[in-house]
Amino acid sequence: MEKKELPDLQMDGVNTAAGGKYNKVNINGVSKINGALSAHTYKCDGVMKMNGDLAAEEMEINGNFRLKGNLQAGVMKLNGVLTGDGNLRGERCELDGMLKLKGNCEVEELIGEGVFTVGGLLSAGRIEFGLHGLAEAGEIGVESLIIRKTGSAAWGRLLGGIIPKFKLELRANLIEGDYIDLEYTTADVVRGGTVIIGEGCSIGRVEYRTGLTVHPGARVEKEEKNGA
Amino acid sequence: MEEELISKKDLLDETGISYGQLYRWKRKQLIPEEWFIRKSTFTGQETFFPRERILGRVQHILQKKDDLSLDELAGKLSEPLSQHQVILTVAQLRERNIVSNSSLERFGRPDSEGMQLTFEQILNLFTVDLLLSKGELNLEEADRLYLTLGVHTPGFAGKNWELFFVRKMGVSFYLMALSGAELAFDEGVRVVSRLSLADLTEQLKVRLS
Repeated sequence: MEKKELPDLQMDGVNTAAGGKYNKVNINGVSKINGALSAHTYKCDGVMKMNGDLAAEEMEINGNFRLKGNLQAGVMKLNGVLTGDGNLRGERCELDGMLKLKGNCEVEELIGEGVFTVGGLLSAGRIEFGLHGLAEAGEIGVESLIIRKTGSAAWGRLLGGIIPKFKLELRANLIEGDYIDLEYTTADVVRGGTVIIGEGCSIGRVEYRTGLTVHPGARVEKEEKNGA
Repeated sequence: MEEELISKKDLLDETGISYGQLYRWKRKQLIPEEWFIRKSTFTGQETFFPRERILGRVQHILQKKDDLSLDELAGKLSEPLSQHQVILTVAQLRERNIVSNSSLERFGRPDSEGMQLTFEQILNLFTVDLLLSKGELNLEEADRLYLTLGVHTPGFAGKNWELFFVRKMGVSFYLMALSGAELAFDEGVRVVSRLSLADLTEQLKVRLS
């Protein structure tokens, strides 16, 4: 087993390290890694700045994570804020907090609460997400997408007018998927098999194949049924 | 030469796959990123695909996906060329009908039944044979193509190339360029065929497997 032969990396306190290949990485405190790092398991608590790509089969991040590169993860748990300049590719991502990516996000499962911002394409097998603020994505392409509002609507309404960040909303140009169930979403075009447009949505155009349900509190400008 | 495109919606209608499947395959890298062509239409941005290639690929995935997992399939589709360790003899090529008899007779020497060919050599033969069987080449042109491929493909060192076969005023010639190159020709030129290494490899791999 090659993996056994790889060294572990343990850091506590304020540290700087180079990248490399590791078996287990465990980091607490304020640290910086210059260079690409790959590990079997990667756990990080605190503030981390990473200049390079990161790849790990299991990843747990608590705190503030700043990444200048691409992220590849098998199973990923994120509590806190992750800001990335590159792409995210992974199997499963559990998110409690904020995920901000400039590139694309391609995962099989994205589950959690909070806010995500994806500059490019957000592609996933399954997304179940509870909104706590303003989430944005260029395009979303999925098999199943469920968007719910979990943050307090009162706060959202109160602060949303003043501070746009507090507005409870998902914004996307295009959403495509087999099953789409939305709340509080603003999109230009939604295309899918079964589409449910819930409360607070504002959609430019909906194209659907099998079924469409629109909540009375939603606004849809154009509906179109396609295919069989 | 403009390749015929198909919109995403038409693709789904024609093949019966869903948005989810398409995105999944893209995530698994079964469909290359370059095939997603964005164009603005009157309804906003739409995605288009090169028609022939995407339809072929979708058929291929649909056929194979019951036997193989998507990851395995992705591995098969994206193996770089250098990993093709296929070596077949001329006799095997004939037997398995990968290259037609007449091409083999023309390009294989008579005493070469047992001669072993590498993947690259088979690919060259396959390319010539493909164009011949489509009736786009005459035999003399085929000879020239075979020579051209033999001389120039090593120079691309595994990089993806495209082959253009063009004719003007009855004179024909070949051009090879790195994939993705936009070539412009003058008015009287007719592009008879345009083939890319990736497509050829894929077609040949399907035949070989």
